[in-house]
Amino acid sequence: MNRMTGILFWLALLAVLAFITMPIVVVVAASLSPTSAVSFDPSQWTLRWYADLASQRWLQPFLLSVEVAAVVAVTSGVLGLLAAYALVYERIPASDAIMSFLLSPLSVPQIVKGVAIVLFLSQIGLQGLLGTPALIAAHVVLALPFVTRMVATSIANFDRGLDRAAQILGANKLQRLIHVLLPMVKPGVLSGVTFAFIISFNNIPLSVFLVRPGDTTLPITVINYLEYSLDPVMAAVNVASMIFILAAIFTFEKIGGFSAQIHGGSK
Amino acid sequence: MSNIDIELVSVSKSFGLVPVVHDISLQIPKGEFVSILGPSGCGKTTTLNMIAGFNAPSLGDIRIRGKSQVRIPPERRNIGLVFQNYALFPHMTVAENVGFGLRMRGASRSQISLAVRDALRGVHLEGFGSRYPRELSGGQQQRVALARAIAPRPSVLLLDEPLSNLDLKLREAMRVELKEIQESLGMTFVYVTHDQEEAMAMSDRIVVMWQGAIAQEGSPAEIYSRPKTSFVADFIGRSNILPMSDLVLRPPYLDFAIADGALRLRSTEAWSGQDMRFCCIRPECIRFLAEGEAAAQGANQLTGRLHRVVNLGAQLELFVEIAKTLLVSATMPSGAAGRLPPLGHEVRLSIAAQDVRLLAR
Repeated sequence: MNRMTGILFWLALLAVLAFITMPIVVVVAASLSPTSAVSFDPSQWTLRWYADLASQRWLQPFLLSVEVAAVVAVTSGVLGLLAAYALVYERIPASDAIMSFLLSPLSVPQIVKGVAIVLFLSQIGLQGLLGTPALIAAHVVLALPFVTRMVATSIANFDRGLDRAAQILGANKLQRLIHVLLPMVKPGVLSGVTFAFIISFNNIPLSVFLVRPGDTTLPITVINYLEYSLDPVMAAVNVASMIFILAAIFTFEKIGGFSAQIHGGSK
Repeated sequence: MSNIDIELVSVSKSFGLVPVVHDISLQIPKGEFVSILGPSGCGKTTTLNMIAGFNAPSLGDIRIRGKSQVRIPPERRNIGLVFQNYALFPHMTVAENVGFGLRMRGASRSQISLAVRDALRGVHLEGFGSRYPRELSGGQQQRVALARAIAPRPSVLLLDEPLSNLDLKLREAMRVELKEIQESLGMTFVYVTHDQEEAMAMSDRIVVMWQGAIAQEGSPAEIYSRPKTSFVADFIGRSNILPMSDLVLRPPYLDFAIADGALRLRSTEAWSGQDMRFCCIRPECIRFLAEGEAAAQGANQLTGRLHRVVNLGAQLELFVEIAKTLLVSATMPSGAAGRLPPLGHEVRLSIAAQDVRLLAR
């Protein structure tokens, strides 16, 4: 009986993993295939589609996406840290209400948000901001709940005994923030920042309303391209951006070590 | 210049409507090792936190070397504190932890590294500077916490049950070591604990707290041999606490009945009023009399039935029924076991009149 459940468990696990990874395998194979027909024969594989990626057609959207995602990551990282600090650490008045407000964008569909932002900007005569500035602002609104939530969790887990220890050792408030609180919540902040970067880099539903024709982000460019053709270049773009995201996650993790156990201290 | 380091003047503290500390006054001279001893919830940690500055007193004043501290935040009190769970910074090495206090005060690199080396040597952790706290055992973390607290040379070191997370052997070794460190530094130590043995072993003075107030204050010997209240007698060491009745003054003795009038005892202590209704006799003050041996002049002599003998290793604890349903406990060296009669037989006991202590409440 026990053996049966064990086998079932592994089968279910394999099925889930296959469901997640098979499409990726297909995309990778497609990007390497010589023709539009997906080939799984490695002897026929070619890298020539990847050469297309260096063209302005793909490079420009890529650079725009990276630029927007980087600004969004840093901005929402700073804002999320400040918000979580005030609401969770200092417990300013009405903290819970403010926190709910900050998290509320989560409950509005992105398409609705996108339309609302376009209408709002035109109403107040600031349609000139459409394009990069609006993209950045909208992505920050989208990413901020995630970042705030993650930083809030790591601040809530912060052992205030450490703050007292630093205080009795002569550290003033600013010194305690810099030398004790920040290093301890750094992993939470960096994982929030990573999240914000990915959310922005991959976003379609909001961006589609806010980009200016001819100056679009990578996912929007992909969508537009798909309307006219489905060829291995598409697959190559997707594989390349997947590799880029993985590299970004890896880099952030190297900096922050957010999967490392730094809380093993005195317990 | 007075040599009082810490002074509490009629300090009270309530959290909301809950009174936690009630009208405590205390003077701690420079260089003394004082323990604040009491069961959990007696207000000892709150008292410590008020000295450190984490809690402000609701009433009264706290002075350090004559200067009121009430408006001074913890970071400017120049006090060291060793926390019960050590509270070491997990993201810093041992050396960074120990040097933290001096670094915050803007000491130079060379000053810091010198002080760190000294402090680590003081707690026998030379060569551990580059480790992280999580790589150390509990006892080593404890020493790092101690080194971190003393490295900036505070005027006063507060210790909040620092040994309670260690195992018994280590705890006993650390008692001696802490006392030696305190003496070599000449620093004032205020040690909060619920462990009476710890307090007895290290302190120059013990302040026993109960229900937010000071129950008794004195040297360990004084607290042990002359407990003033039944709480102190019961909390510190083992004791027989017996209700007294029918008191008669027969100078130099006070003569009274115990066990509902079945027996009479005498004490040389002065009776000070109505609220003295119990007496206390330490088990080691009850002497077992061998066959034919007479009690000393003026001593109480009792006969009872040997009810049970418990072997405590170096000592035997005898439970003797001296009246119906009244058992007293007496201790004797294990080596003398051969002189004991079998269980259920009659034994004679003697108790010197000065060992019968009268207790308030």
